Amino acid sequence: MSTDQPTITVCDATLRDGSHACSHQISLEQIRAYAKASEAAGFDYLEVGHGNGLGASSLQVGESLVPELEMLAAARAELKHTRLSVHVMPGFATIERELKGALAAGVDLFRVGSHCTEADITQRHISHVRAAGRHVWGVLMMSHMVSKEVLLQEARKMQSYGAQGIVLMDSAGAYVPAEVTAKVGHLAAALEVPVGFHAHQNLGLSIANSLAALEAGARIVDGTARGFGAGAGNAPLELLAAVLQRQGYVTSIDLYHALDAAELCAKLFAGSLPVSNGITIVSGLAGVFSGFAKPVQRAAAQLGVDPRDVFFELGRRKVVGGQEDLILEVASELARRAQPTPTP
Amino acid sequence: MGVKKLNVAILGTGNIGTDLLIKVLRSEWLNCRLFAGRNLSSPGMTKGSLLNVPVSARGIDGILDLKGDVALVFDATSAEDHVRHAPRLRAAGLIAVDLTPAKVGRLCVPAVNLADCIDEPNVNMVTCGGQASIPLAQAITRVNPGITYLESVSSIASRSAGAATRINLDEYLMTTEHGLHEFTGCPRTKAILNLNPAQPCVHMQTTVMARIASPDLARTRAAVAAMVEAIRRYVPGYQLILEPMTENGRLVAMVRVEGLGDYLPRYAGNLDIINCAAIAFAEAVARRRHA
Amino acid sequence: MNRALALVRADAEAVLSGYASRLAALRGQHVFISGGTGILGTWLLELIKVLNEVHGFGLKVTAFSRNARNFAEHWPHLGAMPWIRWQEGDIRHLAELPRDVRYIIHAAALTDRRLFASQPGAVAEVNGVGTMRILRAANLQEDVQKFVLLSSGLACGAQPWDLPRIDERFAGALRCDEAGTVYPESKRYAEILAQCAISESKLPVVTLRPFAFVGPYQSMQLPWAVTDFIRDSFNGGPIRIMGDGVTVRSIMYMSDYALWVLAALANGRPRETYLVGSDEPVDLLGLARLITRFFNPVPEIRTRVGQAGHDRSRLVPDVRKIQGELGVTRTVSLESALQRTIEWHRCQQG
Repeated sequence: MSTDQPTITVCDATLRDGSHACSHQISLEQIRAYAKASEAAGFDYLEVGHGNGLGASSLQVGESLVPELEMLAAARAELKHTRLSVHVMPGFATIERELKGALAAGVDLFRVGSHCTEADITQRHISHVRAAGRHVWGVLMMSHMVSKEVLLQEARKMQSYGAQGIVLMDSAGAYVPAEVTAKVGHLAAALEVPVGFHAHQNLGLSIANSLAALEAGARIVDGTARGFGAGAGNAPLELLAAVLQRQGYVTSIDLYHALDAAELCAKLFAGSLPVSNGITIVSGLAGVFSGFAKPVQRAAAQLGVDPRDVFFELGRRKVVGGQEDLILEVASELARRAQPTPTP
Repeated sequence: MGVKKLNVAILGTGNIGTDLLIKVLRSEWLNCRLFAGRNLSSPGMTKGSLLNVPVSARGIDGILDLKGDVALVFDATSAEDHVRHAPRLRAAGLIAVDLTPAKVGRLCVPAVNLADCIDEPNVNMVTCGGQASIPLAQAITRVNPGITYLESVSSIASRSAGAATRINLDEYLMTTEHGLHEFTGCPRTKAILNLNPAQPCVHMQTTVMARIASPDLARTRAAVAAMVEAIRRYVPGYQLILEPMTENGRLVAMVRVEGLGDYLPRYAGNLDIINCAAIAFAEAVARRRHA
Repeated sequence: MNRALALVRADAEAVLSGYASRLAALRGQHVFISGGTGILGTWLLELIKVLNEVHGFGLKVTAFSRNARNFAEHWPHLGAMPWIRWQEGDIRHLAELPRDVRYIIHAAALTDRRLFASQPGAVAEVNGVGTMRILRAANLQEDVQKFVLLSSGLACGAQPWDLPRIDERFAGALRCDEAGTVYPESKRYAEILAQCAISESKLPVVTLRPFAFVGPYQSMQLPWAVTDFIRDSFNGGPIRIMGDGVTVRSIMYMSDYALWVLAALANGRPRETYLVGSDEPVDLLGLARLITRFFNPVPEIRTRVGQAGHDRSRLVPDVRKIQGELGVTRTVSLESALQRTIEWHRCQQG
């Protein structure tokens, strides 16, 4: 193995993105069991919480089985070398109610995210974490929706607030590798802080995209065990671990334990493992937030419309993450349009 | 004899104050005696001058100098500024309509508690999400007792969220939640705000949700429809786009607010609804005095 | 007078004949032009007149300027057009734009070199504050498609003598310890203000840095070399060149300039900067010789009339970016540009 290959930070988002895959019903037992395995596998960070981050347990995006602080405490107790991270979305999470509690719970890294054009709403949250002496990254969500120039401009804002890393999320699973190369490369060349990539599997390209990101200069990569995450899932960690090793990247991953963690995940979350199907494919094509898959299916079923039509319409309206309420409006509208006009 | 208009002043000549000015000029019940701010060369001041409205760069001092000639003041400055203005306005016997997040006075959502506020010396217009969702929440909880959790989600165009909104996002959410709690008595409330950068700009959309097993849907729909009608009398662009329905164990209703486009663009329905509510309150005061 | 108008009309039709279809995005739109009665504004109106009368574009224009009324009276072929709304005002006090405006060209600025010297404060204010005001007004619009900012080829500082051409990436230095650089500094400031609007509200701004131009409607009172030489030639000469005449410039005809601006309005990529001008260098001596050939008798050219050695100055743009991206070309040669300009002035004189 070459020693001048870069060191890659690997973030395990299984207990956060996976929340989307099981309608946010992750239990304390599952958290404890998986956290142990993640620690053994040597991932750098384990992210825990609701799919939309701190404070997101809601009617809007689904309620968590377990209160947030209990989830964090359970994971915290199992982790020694692997660090605990959380996802934070201003607009859902407030400093007073959510951030302070998470700081007290011993979270090591706060990944504060906004829609890819709205970085300035993260200023106060990022600053607060830095002032508290903890680590913080900025996250740009739905990053497929804008140009690399816009992404860099937004990333620079987060960097100026004190973000110590910037993660580009492919929240819709919409990217192809060339786009990843262009965008990650553009940021990696200009930012002082490391750049990361968070892939989704909707178009079957999560590993290819993750690899392209690393080759373009990303030093942080996200994945989940068995891809356990929203929509068609994320870049599977066990595959990432294998590919990282094959390409000679330096990580702290123990391959066998990483594979074991994937096996454990399959057992723990059997029945909720993500699959690729017509819904997730259309979701990726339409560029819609992957987490919409379940609510779209539910609303479409209730209102008697084709979920794929709902996705394309949501995509046409350029809906962003967190706007799950629009699913009902769109589905209702499609149902209304499909009704035959009453005969006079 | 003609209608005697209530003399009002507007403090704050930014975009919100200027939009308010246009509304006051259109009102049958209100007469703008002064448009006061700090910067005579601001676009709002220019607009005010072009409309032949008396302007002043002396801010609240300009208004207080008018002594008995003004009855009510709209404050569209900032929370920090209103905290300083409020006691001075009170001492001068001027009714303060606070469009900032200062929350010095009573929260006012005209469709719900206008009568309770009409004698208040200082009323606060909550937040845009509050004005849009509190009436619906109030209607829902009135008809379905025992609701313990209410949620309000608003989506607004990125361009309608200025720097002040963005830096005060947490305060916005907490004020909206507080408002929901105040007006419904519901123990737990949550507010969420989404910014969408799509062009052409999206109109404000607000969804109110309650966790409730079997709501009285017919009565809920009637109550919500009546409330929507009440709001439309002072916010013409307020429209119910999803009738109350149940889905996945929750009751959901959705409204869209299209702005009047007086000075603010039409997509800024979120800013317009606060202005419309403020005008509605002031007109009610005017009507009451005239009666 | 009619012949002068016909000359400009012919130029406008010619430059649009190859490109009009590519301006289709502007069909039926309302364009706000600040500085609508300046030389660029006037040419834009001439081109838009052709777009409306020959190509059926149905474009509406609001022409904003300090002397809109006088201009409309003086040039009735434009002043009487029903699709132009003349708005008289000072750009420093602009409060709002007409509701249905989706395309904006901000050309209002103080560009008279004599004012740079005698009223540098006014130059800073009009060019800076004026830009701030129109950007703020643009941010209140429902759906701006494009905002074209006219900056200046001088905004990035002096071109080094040994650099044949500067491109969009060139970033020289501007001194700020003297009022003499107020004009380029004010244009640089205008560019930064536009970048702020891009960053905060994603306004779709296209920044243009124009170089030097010649053409009808250009006042011969303005102290540019080309207008000086033409004016001196009309007066029988001599043309006075301070140094050896080695200063290098490039000069574009107004019809091409106006077309390139419309192209940027319709097709320019938001957030991008484009240089606008001719990339064909000409030194002052050569320029003088080209000009004097259109006069009979040929006026005398005198060099070294002033201090020698101060004229190692070059300003020539590399315009491959705008040409490549927008498909525009220079259709009028320098000679032809000078010939038409001189003829127009002749017609004006009687």
